[in-house]
Amino acid sequence: MPDEIVIKVENVSAGYEEPVLENINFSVRRGEIFVILGGSGCGKSTLLKHMVGLTPPLAGEIQLMGDSVNGGNAADRARALRHFGMAYQSGALFGSMTLLENVSLPIESFTALPRPARLLLAAMKLDLVGLKEYASFFPAEISGGMKKRAAIARAMALDPPILFLDEPSAGLDPVTSAGLDRLILRIRDLQGVTVVMVTHELASIFAVADRCVMLDKQSRGMLAVGRPADLRDNPPCAAVRAFFNREGGN
Amino acid sequence: MQLNLPADSSAENIARLWQAVMPEIVRLGTGDELVLNADNVQTCAGAGEALILDLHRRSAVQGFTIVCRDSRGVVERTLRIFDVKKYLADEAVPTAAAARHTRTADQIGRAVADIYASVCGQMAFLGEMTVSALRLVMQPKRLRLRDTMLHFERAGVDALPITLLIGFLLGVILAFMSATSFRRFGVEVYVADLIAIGLFRELGALITAIILAGRSGSAFAAELGSMKVNEEIDALVTLGLPPVVFLAMPRVIAATLVMPLLTIFTIMAGLLGGVLVMMSLGIPATVYWQHVFKSTPLSNVMLGLFKAAVFGLLIGLVGCAQGLRADRTADAVGRAATAAVVGSLVLITIFDGVFAVMAYILRI
Repeated sequence: MPDEIVIKVENVSAGYEEPVLENINFSVRRGEIFVILGGSGCGKSTLLKHMVGLTPPLAGEIQLMGDSVNGGNAADRARALRHFGMAYQSGALFGSMTLLENVSLPIESFTALPRPARLLLAAMKLDLVGLKEYASFFPAEISGGMKKRAAIARAMALDPPILFLDEPSAGLDPVTSAGLDRLILRIRDLQGVTVVMVTHELASIFAVADRCVMLDKQSRGMLAVGRPADLRDNPPCAAVRAFFNREGGN
Repeated sequence: MQLNLPADSSAENIARLWQAVMPEIVRLGTGDELVLNADNVQTCAGAGEALILDLHRRSAVQGFTIVCRDSRGVVERTLRIFDVKKYLADEAVPTAAAARHTRTADQIGRAVADIYASVCGQMAFLGEMTVSALRLVMQPKRLRLRDTMLHFERAGVDALPITLLIGFLLGVILAFMSATSFRRFGVEVYVADLIAIGLFRELGALITAIILAGRSGSAFAAELGSMKVNEEIDALVTLGLPPVVFLAMPRVIAATLVMPLLTIFTIMAGLLGGVLVMMSLGIPATVYWQHVFKSTPLSNVMLGLFKAAVFGLLIGLVGCAQGLRADRTADAVGRAATAAVVGSLVLITIFDGVFAVMAYILRI
């Protein structure tokens, strides 16, 4: 079902007390890599926090695989939270655990697999992101790019159908960033996972995104939704043109 | 032997299958054959892939052969993504505790190296603090007065309620405990002397130091440890501002100055608790205060306050040293806070013993 909608964002007002975004509407199809982009402070990360249920939006509804993240009953919300994995900007790995322990933590908590199976599965997830040899390392002993890859392995530990990535390229050099882009594409192709990522790295957007939504701080809304190449070639407004014609978009 | 992978190879189903078949699988050897039927598999999650990989790994190690029925390509796809050779040796699948299962000799060596590094670090910090203090005497304007006052408020004014409460209860407890014994000899009036001598010479400073170590020493370590995690200390160094002067000195000075003041409040609260108990036992307040003043020479007061200042200095130094030495992880910050409290208490006890011996020798 390639056109199946797995994420629905309907009439969402994003913010904590005052809305920073209003009337946000978009949907994401199964297997898509969907990028949320926009300038600093436009509410990208706030919207992402609403989408993963960390904080409720001020208005509107967000559905993951048909289950409401913020509306509905507690069971709906609990089920919605099992549909995704999330990799944070800093990695957010637990410093007192090795990479293998970090990845096997959700497997241990949510499956009845015996210990050897759990460890093998965690090692396979690390293998998938190219970190199997670093399984016994602690987060403090590896680089920033490796932390982000390990965070993706942990987010993928339970094979969720949706993967949220918060600024995966932030703070990485172009080569490492390109490697991470290839990893995201590989995971999508191998696991068929739907990826939603927040970024403003043009190179990453053009490398991985099937579609993107551009948010705007001034109008507190969406400027455009579409394929990155279409938005670059036929920008609907000056702000989109300015963003996509900075550099690098090819 | 035949193994049928379920249509829904989810973690739940694979967990049951794994538990059921693995005892038999481990008994397979050379010449045995395992038929792995994956024809019915509709969805195969990571757990299913782990089982397929584990079977092929065991096949290579134990010598049995696997015959695959794989019309949907599930097994082929798994083996394409994950190279069995990388998982052949048992140690290729690292155990969760691999990094911690070290030999005893290795652990002892590491512990000795850690202690050595800790002692060196403490000495270096002490040296840096001494040099900074001397520079500060020459140029008092270098002291960040606003920060010092802020820490003075946090460690002192904010700690006043708990200090007063504990001091008061200490006085009550001391009075009740001693009054019970003293009454047998008809000398309960001397409870006032005991409370006064105990609080001024020993307990006032000691109890206040324990409160300050638990409250502010740990806070110093946690604050500085968090700043290290956030690279704020690196930022200070690259700005050319020594962290010891900028961060540690205000905290150490605040702790040193605030301790004698807090101790005075603890002692006053303790004496108040004592007088209430004595009055309830029928001893007039005037008699109680008379005994308190008579049994409290100035040397006792000065000794208590001097000890308090030294304890404050120790708490500040240990707290800041642990915070600045913390690793850059969240649990390291917690460890630094714990080490700050434990280290402070150990040093306070040692120094208290030294003071007791010195006071005895000097007949104070």
